[in-house]
Amino acid sequence: MKKADHNKSYHGVWVFGDYRHYFQNRVTLQLIAKGRELAQTLETSITALVLGDHVNQYAMEYVAHGADKIMIVDHPALKDYRVETYTKVIAELIERYKPEIFLGGATAFGRELFPRIAKRVKTGLSADCVALEIDPETGNLVQTTPAWGGELLADVVTPLHRPQMATVHPGTFRELPHDASAVGRVIYPDITVEADGRVQLLRSKTQPKGKVNLEDAQIVISGGRGMGSKDQFDLLFELADLLDGEVGATRPAIRAEWTDEERLLGQTGKIVKPKLLITVGASGALQYTVGVQGAEVIVAINRDPHAPIFNMADLGLVGDGRAVVAQLIDELRKRV
Amino acid sequence: MNIAVCIKQVPDTHTIRIDEKRMTIVREGGDNVINALDCVALEAALDLKARRGGSITVLTMGPPQSEEALREALGYGADTAILLSDPAFAGADTLATSHVLARAISRLEPFPDLILCGKQTSDSDTGHVGPQIAEELDLPQVCGVDEIHLEENALVVKRLSDGLVETFRLSLPALLTVSNALCAPRRPSFGDLEAAFSMGSVRTWRLDDLGLNPDEVGASGSATWVVKLRSAPPKARGEIVSGPTQDLVDRLIKKLEALSVIDEESRSQ
Amino acid sequence: MVSNQRESKISAHHNYLVNDALTPGFALGNPGSKDGFYFLADVVLPGESTPRVSARLYDHEGEFLVELVWNRIKANPGHTRFQSLPNGFRLLYPSGEAILSVQTERFTNGYLSRIQGKLYDEKGGLRMEPSLESVTVYGKASLTLESPFEFSA
Repeated sequence: MKKADHNKSYHGVWVFGDYRHYFQNRVTLQLIAKGRELAQTLETSITALVLGDHVNQYAMEYVAHGADKIMIVDHPALKDYRVETYTKVIAELIERYKPEIFLGGATAFGRELFPRIAKRVKTGLSADCVALEIDPETGNLVQTTPAWGGELLADVVTPLHRPQMATVHPGTFRELPHDASAVGRVIYPDITVEADGRVQLLRSKTQPKGKVNLEDAQIVISGGRGMGSKDQFDLLFELADLLDGEVGATRPAIRAEWTDEERLLGQTGKIVKPKLLITVGASGALQYTVGVQGAEVIVAINRDPHAPIFNMADLGLVGDGRAVVAQLIDELRKRV
Repeated sequence: MNIAVCIKQVPDTHTIRIDEKRMTIVREGGDNVINALDCVALEAALDLKARRGGSITVLTMGPPQSEEALREALGYGADTAILLSDPAFAGADTLATSHVLARAISRLEPFPDLILCGKQTSDSDTGHVGPQIAEELDLPQVCGVDEIHLEENALVVKRLSDGLVETFRLSLPALLTVSNALCAPRRPSFGDLEAAFSMGSVRTWRLDDLGLNPDEVGASGSATWVVKLRSAPPKARGEIVSGPTQDLVDRLIKKLEALSVIDEESRSQ
Repeated sequence: MVSNQRESKISAHHNYLVNDALTPGFALGNPGSKDGFYFLADVVLPGESTPRVSARLYDHEGEFLVELVWNRIKANPGHTRFQSLPNGFRLLYPSGEAILSVQTERFTNGYLSRIQGKLYDEKGGLRMEPSLESVTVYGKASLTLESPFEFSA
């Protein structure tokens, strides 16, 4: 494999350990699995980088899920995720250890941390990748990202700069199962950690109202303008309850105040990749569909047979979504 | 309080059409608008100006037609508009884009107390430019802000991040990116826009005005290159069923059973 | 290649903390020695949940104190006291002063054992002393055992 001269001194695949809400947020484990594959192709190792205060538990989990090495920086100033403090530490580690690839989950924190690190070490970063492969000729990481709101896919490379950085959407890759017999190397770099005094975290509270976690939901039921009213939109919550799913909404439904902004799906809302999406009463406008087109199976219900949503549905039902949902709820209740 | 707002002109998604044969976006003939989240940033700046006084400078890096977006911003109440336009800026990734914007901001007199950006754009959607400007200018950042409170020499801001509601105190100067939960952007009245088009306060800065070399900007100043653009594999249009509600429900139940979302009903019923 | 770092091993299932680093198992001196100091924090295999500590300990004057084999006192000329704790155990001098403590923290999928102690060898030399959350060790040591120690019969 050929590599530009500058790049020859960079080795190793790193993954940022984003461990908040560890048991729901599996993206680091997914990236360790994919990173392991990339590392094997490049004949190098996969390292999980763990910053925080008392992080031993997460370090052990990452070894169990496939990391060859764990790099730990354990310090009280790293207790809260803070972009400026983390950027300084990680940029210094990158300059010292020179990984050729550095991956992070596209969590909210990852999406504001990675650009800052990339700028500091002056390298390229692609966001929200949906695929990662090594180009056999160049050894470069080919980063596939959605473009134009998801209508197109762009293959991006960072040929002259290192590390090649990318954030990856949760749910894109699959994690390896937990292996209690795994043993890895652990490295404790000697590094100064200082909190940035210009920013103070005053309060951090878990989001109230039974945490809406659409990004990790396996089943999403989403409603649009066609639901007609808040009472009828609320049926979707009943259905979601019965199917153990989460409820999403289109912009018109949010504007009509049938539910909260945090349930918005689409371009300015959340991107979801569930195993099943049931979309009811939404016509399929581009700003909405870019948020849901990653679902494995899409069932669409709309009274208009020409609604564009049917172009992307595995199963389309032409009819009154409210009536279908209401009756479905009744029948499911009878089965329980 | 002096505020700089970075805006971007993007195609209006409401007027985008898809060329179904080639599975691409048809850009010609569509409208261009200010990126929705940048409108929210501008609105927040106008609100802060109303409370604290000071001036608002809007900046954009783009082709000459981006001037329309700047004039619209002037119409809403921004004081100065700067167009960063040069053929050398074309083909820039966020590393190069943030370099041009950061350099321009560093040349504002006086240096702004606050820089506001939309959290992400509707076209490229990375959300990288704000944090990268903050890094280059060595400013603290908070992204996705949905509440801003003014103190003497600091801001207290709130935002939602990975299921946590976080409240920060930031000393100034600082950079914030805003979410659409912060405030509703205003809609222009014709009077505002006409007034804006007759104002002369759009300055254009080129490569030399910013003291930059060609290899620091545009495609030459970028670290990432797009090597291939292809249409996302289209989802095959599946089965379409019409009929009475009962038929639709039956079909849906069969699908849910096939996916193991619900258990199959035992046949002995 | 890089100085300015410490390195060790890390197990997915159970680790001790020694010299402020995780390790699956470690030994000081010659484990199984019949007439000299040793300390063994043995590797804990998946399926097991408690560490196994074996040691032959001396006081600061080099007098033989106690021998532990797999957490149990086998010889006790120093009349040390063994005290069970909810998540481990402690060994005390007759005066009540602590010799050694072993406490295990349980995570969802794994365990972390913290050892604290002030241990001396047969020459009265200091071999282990507490430091913040862990211990610092001195002298001959194998700090990263990966499989359970094989005692010769």
